[in-house]
Amino acid sequence: MPAFAAPRHSPASDPTSVAVTPRKSRLRSDPDAAIGSPLRKSPRLCKEGSPNSSPKIEVIRKCLKSSLNLSESPEKKQLTEDFVEGQNWDPREETQLRAVNETLHVSTAPASVVCRENEQNRILDFCKKCVKEEKAGSLYVCGCPGTGKTLSMEKVKVMLVDWANKEGVQHPDVLSINCTTLANMSEIFSKILGQTHYGKKPSPSTSSLQQLQKLYSQHTPGLKMILVVADELDYLITKDRAVLHDLFMLTTMPFSRCILLGVANAIDLADWFIPKLQSLNCKPMVITFCAYSKDQIINILQERLRALPYTVFQPQALELCARKVAAASGDMRKALAVCRSAIEMLIGESMLSSLDETEDQQRPAANDMMSNIVRINHVAAALSKVYKSPVVDTIISLPQHQQIILCSAVKLFREGKKSTILGELNKYYVDVCKSTMIPPVGILELSSMCRVLDDQGILKLGQSREDKLRRVTLKVDGADIVFALRGVRFFRNCLK
Amino acid sequence: MAETQQMKKFKTPSKGTPKAKHPISLDHHIAPQTPQSATPSAVNLRRSHRLSAATLEHRPALFIFNTPQSAAKTRKICEDPPSIIPTEISFNPASPPPVESRKKRKFQEKSAEKRKDSRSVKCKRAADRKVKKKVYYKKVVYDGGEFSAGHDVYVKRRSDASSDNEDPEVEECRVCFKQAGKRVLIECDDCLNGFHLKCLKPPLRAVPDGDWVCCYCVARKNGEVMEFPEPQEGKKRARTAREKLLSSDLWAARIESLWKEVDGTYWFRARWYIIPDETAVGRQPHNLRRELYRTNDFADVEMESIIRHCFVMSPREFANAANGGDDVFLCEYEYEMQWHSFKRIAEIDNNENDGESVVDNDADWNSCDEFDSGSESDSEEAAYGDEKRNKLAQASSLRPAAANSRKGQIFGLQKIGAKKIPENLRSRKQTDLEKAKSTLMLATLPKSLPCRDREMNEITTFIKGAICDEQCLGRCLYVHGVPGTGKTMSVLAVMRNLKSEVDAGSIRPYCFVEINGLKLASPENIYSVIYEGLTGHRVGWKKALNFLNARFSDENKCRKDTSPCILLIDELDLLVTRNQAVLYNILDWPTRPNSKLIVIGIANTMDLPEKLLPRISSRMGIQRLCFGPYNFQQLQEIISSRLKGIDTFEKVAIEFASRKVAAVSGDARRALEICRRAAEVADYRAKKTALSSSDASGKVMAGMADVEAAIKEMFQAPHIQVIRSCSKLSKIFLAAMVYELYKTGMGETTFEKLAMAVSCFCANNGETFPGYDTLMKVGCKLGECRLLLCEPGSRHKLQKLQLNYPNDDVTFALKDSKDLPWLAKYI
Repeated sequence: MPAFAAPRHSPASDPTSVAVTPRKSRLRSDPDAAIGSPLRKSPRLCKEGSPNSSPKIEVIRKCLKSSLNLSESPEKKQLTEDFVEGQNWDPREETQLRAVNETLHVSTAPASVVCRENEQNRILDFCKKCVKEEKAGSLYVCGCPGTGKTLSMEKVKVMLVDWANKEGVQHPDVLSINCTTLANMSEIFSKILGQTHYGKKPSPSTSSLQQLQKLYSQHTPGLKMILVVADELDYLITKDRAVLHDLFMLTTMPFSRCILLGVANAIDLADWFIPKLQSLNCKPMVITFCAYSKDQIINILQERLRALPYTVFQPQALELCARKVAAASGDMRKALAVCRSAIEMLIGESMLSSLDETEDQQRPAANDMMSNIVRINHVAAALSKVYKSPVVDTIISLPQHQQIILCSAVKLFREGKKSTILGELNKYYVDVCKSTMIPPVGILELSSMCRVLDDQGILKLGQSREDKLRRVTLKVDGADIVFALRGVRFFRNCLK
Repeated sequence: MAETQQMKKFKTPSKGTPKAKHPISLDHHIAPQTPQSATPSAVNLRRSHRLSAATLEHRPALFIFNTPQSAAKTRKICEDPPSIIPTEISFNPASPPPVESRKKRKFQEKSAEKRKDSRSVKCKRAADRKVKKKVYYKKVVYDGGEFSAGHDVYVKRRSDASSDNEDPEVEECRVCFKQAGKRVLIECDDCLNGFHLKCLKPPLRAVPDGDWVCCYCVARKNGEVMEFPEPQEGKKRARTAREKLLSSDLWAARIESLWKEVDGTYWFRARWYIIPDETAVGRQPHNLRRELYRTNDFADVEMESIIRHCFVMSPREFANAANGGDDVFLCEYEYEMQWHSFKRIAEIDNNENDGESVVDNDADWNSCDEFDSGSESDSEEAAYGDEKRNKLAQASSLRPAAANSRKGQIFGLQKIGAKKIPENLRSRKQTDLEKAKSTLMLATLPKSLPCRDREMNEITTFIKGAICDEQCLGRCLYVHGVPGTGKTMSVLAVMRNLKSEVDAGSIRPYCFVEINGLKLASPENIYSVIYEGLTGHRVGWKKALNFLNARFSDENKCRKDTSPCILLIDELDLLVTRNQAVLYNILDWPTRPNSKLIVIGIANTMDLPEKLLPRISSRMGIQRLCFGPYNFQQLQEIISSRLKGIDTFEKVAIEFASRKVAAVSGDARRALEICRRAAEVADYRAKKTALSSSDASGKVMAGMADVEAAIKEMFQAPHIQVIRSCSKLSKIFLAAMVYELYKTGMGETTFEKLAMAVSCFCANNGETFPGYDTLMKVGCKLGECRLLLCEPGSRHKLQKLQLNYPNDDVTFALKDSKDLPWLAKYI
């Protein structure tokens, strides 16, 4: 059986050369250069342009240019100043490293929430108004994951209590619930009831919802306001949406004391129960947390890093990270994860360099100072770990017969079909095998190989009673497969 | 909550004390110290005994343990007190079966006896040769107490503690400090102190039903301070052994084996029990006062340090032991010292009454489920119940054959009735091929894991980076890769390495909970499994979810002291529910402050995070680790590393097998299976030639041909075999089918057309046409074994038929059939 030499490079092995020097040779058959590019849909894009104009390099150039051009914007000026002011840190010292890691961890709440002041104030004003007027109300907060919704809610809760203490208003009870942790959807009512303090003991005969409804439908003097923060509100959606509806209806009762803040990802969740609430004229206010923009991400990262007395990141590196994350999802958790893994890269590098430092004495001091902060290439390597499309790499490292399957699938779909059945694919597969003098494997083996490819996300196998009739569709672009298999001489003839 | 299980105990001194409690004169305990306990530091470092025990590995691994019943039986015979050697046992380091007492042998049949005698002579000779070594005993009478393997005893903790010397046999009343005498002592269910009924305020007339808590405990619960009365001047309150144990001044241990050292001292191997306060999680609210955990920690201790018997029981026995006295304890879980995790002790481990019906056991099972406070879902209970029933069924069906001679206590492999045959008892040496077969078994744990160094390094740095910090930051790693690429094995190997580092003291200890998604009855059950692993307490999943939420999201600082927890979830994709709440919760905990939770998920699917809801993949982080399929060099290295030292395989044969597998799937399991099968084939061949030629001169190597045969067996689809072996008419039917499909170029045909073709075939080749009915039957049969796909038979002639396998396969199978040579010309 002929073995073939596949071009394999690990993308992390040589980040500097990828990032800074334009690659001249072998870009077409080299998946790495293509993988790193942010705008890449398929490798075709890269191979059409000249190697010098790889979009990734463009981004890096932009970063470098903007940081050099100091007078361009005040914000960037500040960036560079920060960089100059701070002293260096030593990644090899454990306490410093621990502090940095902790600062950048998701679970550490920053001292102040930047870039969300506007939304926070709106929520807070709403709550203040409700508490002051002793009026119930509901609010719905939506936004993508990692945009600081839960964090802002935590801050709002604290600020509200502070405000109430300062103003001398009776401060409300606060209850925050993550709806995923409820074993039963209607448990939320018993939790609210449990938090509500009023004279009588809850009677076990009636349900918590009924008790709450009764409580809120008549005037009870001395009943405290209660602030309910329901995170991941969409987990409350049942088939008839009764729980969600009841929950929002609680805030419309005449003597209700409940301020409901619902948090979820979906924008349109509010619309589902709006028709009924609208008729009662108490539709919840909707506050949207947009995905973070590039500048916001930079701001937040710097805010977090400001707590440290030393510079950890090169400003350009932060900017690269922010740009990439903002372009992809605007998810702050991702940005933090990228930063942490960039630090890990730096540490790995410094470990290596400390090993051969003894031989390399005459390194200039300035260079040494630079070596202790996270540079663009570290961030680029970390980013490529997150956002790289592993398709080409995966296809190259597949076993040969699975590659033949992909090759025959590409041939099959060239004829204009969108999907096929396993039996048909087998025919093409046997053809390809015969033309290359390789003994084909049986159909049972073929279907198990297809299942593996399905697991890898390259094929999609439909459901069917008969194995032979299962529907097969390609989940990756056919051009990707052609690109990946191009490097292998064996397949060149098949794909012509 | 679970106090209902604890029975009321009347402490009447006359009958309440267990029968085996022997009055022991105190002098013995001040007497000579054991070598190990001579230096106090050595005693305090109890854990380190395990290391020292490693030197005693040459002891036979299997040993016949005396059960309580048989102990009772033999007691009469060996009650010639002060001597210490009651039953002489022949000693053979390697073969357990002859280690039977002579008394038993008497009852054996004569013929068996002859055989055994001849062997026992051999054994004796072996024992004579090794007489300078240790001698093992089933039972030892020491200091008037009778100890045998399987007994539970109190063991002295400190050599110099004077408090150990006093050992009141009879408990005193906590108020008047007088012994019970004729009056009844009542035991508080909370503090376990005994009280005279009339010493209480207000005095009790009779022992109340149900739980009873003394007024002191009630007061303490209400936040008041109410001191116990102090004893009179000059009189010290005597503490019972139980009290000392529960305040960790004594230890409890189970005797695993007993022996006499060369210098004449008597030793035993102890398996320690610990009290809940000594575990990593400390005493939990659900722990009973008398609860102990069995550990997996052993030590060799001199008999001197034994104080007396105690009784550690399973929950069922404990519930039945109403008047068990003071030295009765409950043990339901085994505590793993390294992982700080809890495992339920399987009931069969020391199931003493086998005669019970399964139904009876089930009832008992339910009764000890009272822990669960009723909120448990039915499915879960049913699942656990089933599991147990199976085990019991297994045990009871195997017991009479395998273990009737020893009745009851069985250990290790014997737990399921199987027994390992010692290697040297086999009649002959293993040949190289047999050795190769056994090392190539999938179940054999290889000594090293080649080709996954990079991945293992990555996992190690991941875990170390998390747990070495003072402030353990939660993180999450997703490991993915196709089956048979060593995912689980690498992670577990890393954990083993880390464990040894924990033992060496370079890393802080941590908990490790391993869960396989396939073993959960439902995804939600994972909560209760995690909670049980962390605390040794089994609750329903809803409750467990609440507890876990409280544990991982508690922000107050008192949580600082908890050790980090590593959660390994195999087959992570099975936890995906409809709304994915389970995964959300598990992946959300590491992002909470102070959670100290590290999650490692393993699955086959590469794009699982992308398939999940965005909010979950956002929490999952970016740490991924891919295990790619092995290429042929790696497979070759894996196989040859397993076969190191066994020279049976030709190099080309290994290369051939690995290339073949690497081309199709890169699955190491399959490569190993092929090689094992090849070894079997070669072994078979070798034995055949040895039988026929009777000169076993040439050494047989597994070569290319054997591998080829194994591959053929594995890769060749079964349908070829089926077609080859089916009836004549079916073959004609299939051939006509292929012919018809080929002629028309369509994917399917109707029965009518097919029948025409068959009749044409038959007419031309001198066969008789069987008729439509029979032909229809043949068609249905072929449809049933899935060679054909056919519509329901009600359409008769218009029934559509389709081949389930490619035409070429059918052609290939029919090409050279011997009984129908003419078929070849049609296909």
